[in-house]
Amino acid sequence: MLRVLLSKDLRHALRNPLPWLINLIVPLSMTLLVGLVFGRHADSGALGRIRFAVVDEDKSLLGDLLCGVTNQSRGGKHFDPVFKVREAAMREINADKISAVLIIPTNFMRNYLTAHEPVSLELIKNPAESVNPAVLEELLGVVTTALNTISRNFSSKFPEWQTGLEGSGDYNKAFFFMERTGAKLMLTPKYKNFINPPLVSYETEAPADDSTRAAAAKTGGSQSDAISGVFSYLLIGFSGMFLLFIAGSAMSDLYRELRQHTLERYQTLRDSLAPFLASKAVFGVVMLLLCSGIMLGGGGLIFHIHWRQPLPLMALTFGYACFMAALFAVFVALMPDERRAAVLNNLAAMGMGLAGGVFPPEGLPAFVRQHITPFLPSFWFVTTARNLQDGGMDAAWGWAAFKLAAVGAALMALAAMLLRRRFQSGLRT
Amino acid sequence: MPRYHRGMSLLRVERLSKAFGAIRAVDSISFEVRPGEIYGLLGPNGAGKTTTISMVCGLLKPDSGEVLVAGEGFWSDPQKAKRIMGVVPQELAIYGELSGRENLEFWGRIAGLSAREAKSRATELLEALMLADRAKDAVSTYSGGMKRRINLGCALLHRPQLLLLDEPTVGIDPQARLNILEFIRNLLAAGTGILYTTHYLEEAEMLCQRIGIIDHGRLLAEGTLSQLQERLGGDRVFVLEADFKNTSPEAWEGFHQRFRVIQKSERQLVVAAIGARDPSECLKALLDLPVQAENVTLKRPSLNDVFLQLTGRELRE
Repeated sequence: MLRVLLSKDLRHALRNPLPWLINLIVPLSMTLLVGLVFGRHADSGALGRIRFAVVDEDKSLLGDLLCGVTNQSRGGKHFDPVFKVREAAMREINADKISAVLIIPTNFMRNYLTAHEPVSLELIKNPAESVNPAVLEELLGVVTTALNTISRNFSSKFPEWQTGLEGSGDYNKAFFFMERTGAKLMLTPKYKNFINPPLVSYETEAPADDSTRAAAAKTGGSQSDAISGVFSYLLIGFSGMFLLFIAGSAMSDLYRELRQHTLERYQTLRDSLAPFLASKAVFGVVMLLLCSGIMLGGGGLIFHIHWRQPLPLMALTFGYACFMAALFAVFVALMPDERRAAVLNNLAAMGMGLAGGVFPPEGLPAFVRQHITPFLPSFWFVTTARNLQDGGMDAAWGWAAFKLAAVGAALMALAAMLLRRRFQSGLRT
Repeated sequence: MPRYHRGMSLLRVERLSKAFGAIRAVDSISFEVRPGEIYGLLGPNGAGKTTTISMVCGLLKPDSGEVLVAGEGFWSDPQKAKRIMGVVPQELAIYGELSGRENLEFWGRIAGLSAREAKSRATELLEALMLADRAKDAVSTYSGGMKRRINLGCALLHRPQLLLLDEPTVGIDPQARLNILEFIRNLLAAGTGILYTTHYLEEAEMLCQRIGIIDHGRLLAEGTLSQLQERLGGDRVFVLEADFKNTSPEAWEGFHQRFRVIQKSERQLVVAAIGARDPSECLKALLDLPVQAENVTLKRPSLNDVFLQLTGRELRE
């Protein structure tokens, strides 16, 4: 029976492929769009060099050192600072040529070393960009944390530093102070713990076992892993939500069957609606697996994401697809009005996506995070997939996939029962 | 497949009722369909015909009453009852993207035929429905009449003993309608019992052995065409045209002992003679009435006249 129904749906899809193509084009477009915006940064496994201007109004040795940190050694790989006067820097940021302007104000070093008054650095972010200014802001946070740490722990040495650094600006003296401070920091565990690791970074958790750690090392080291970790985190979240939208659209084929009275005719020949709904669910699941392949696979190619556990991820996606197809079959059974259902489907998809942890769940209101999110299948999928990617929770994916598929089966039975009831109480389209 | 002899009921409906909120769509309807018989359910739109068929085929659950298919309650074994039935819904219930043959084969498989049986039966039906030359074309390219024929054919793949036809000729041209009616008449030879709903008087008169007249969910009368005509008091009615604005038949002496009023309007009075009387005597009596008669017509009573007498309005209203 299922084979007969599937072959009918396959013929229908081949002769009228537009709905299928549209459903496939949506994730493809989304992935390409995200790839066009962010993909070039991922080519080298990093964000690329961030160009920003430094306006050094202090003209002191400390200002020079601050600027030097960003364009020397490893900093030079990621940052491209240019030195400008304030007006020129503002012209460049207005022309969208740089990501931010860092201003070191007059008397910055003197005030820092004498502690006569609080000092501050000024960062002007380019409003036309999102990622690069945010990275610079985080970096500045690290710098200020380090300066605060030094100020709190080496203030007794500051008069000596001030004497050495002011005036002619002797670099040899500066180097001497830095070397002594650095050695002291590294030898003192409490300072080391305070400074290293930095408070803010893009590092993700280290791989759980040696094999994955080795695999990660082979594929490009921690820097590219950190970047791809950000994208895989986001990609899994977005996929969790977009797949819900696509599931709503894929299962709307049931409305076509209702509209053209073929489901009604089926009921005059067969007592059970389950095979009919199951055939629609199979088609929905195939569609969702294709779309998830486009989003996760295509996104993986664009952002150089190495999916660490592809088979468990596929099993998890399959379970999630079963759940989604069944969920929207229930919606069809509950809402005979196709247009009204389309609006509600979208709202449900967005709600489940956002509350299910598309974005970091920590950002959700406390009530939602504690009492709603843990019970959402979208959360089970997103969280488990992220954990798989982080290399942790190896055993839990099977349980999550089973839970998703089981909830899907239960919902499918509910949809069949509801639809039958609606027919028997007089559903007309 | 079991065969059913003429005496027994293929379908028996007993005091079937269904309400949607405050509206009683079907109100305690009872009738039966025998093998080799076309039973017509005649009534205007909204009379309760489709609701009745939906309950008979299990799409709707009745509020009360019983449906017996081949002597067994429908709800005791719905799948068994469905195997005996073929249902042709009022709306086209076919796949436009599939060809005529594919539609037939698909519904045959759903009805439980093997792939081979479905294929050979589809070939037979395409011939019988005169669609063999368009068998491979998508149904969406068919004319209205051809779609109706395929819609009918899709219910016949499993050779149902009981066929439920819900206004199968709605919206098609007269020639296509005649083709379908001819096809349906031929099904009787195989002993198929048919429940046929329609609001076309001519179809019911031409096709049905017995007719039930339904309005506002109630079965008002039932019988063969001649039995229904008998209700009017004979095989003829008189149509008197005059100005009846300021007069009433109740005021005419002896009128109600001789005639039964079927319909009265400002310009027309339709009556039937009571008892077997000579038509010329009736005509004379009508012309002697205290009104200025403009025209008097004698005609055979139609189902519309029966409907008029039962409901006080024409079926076409």
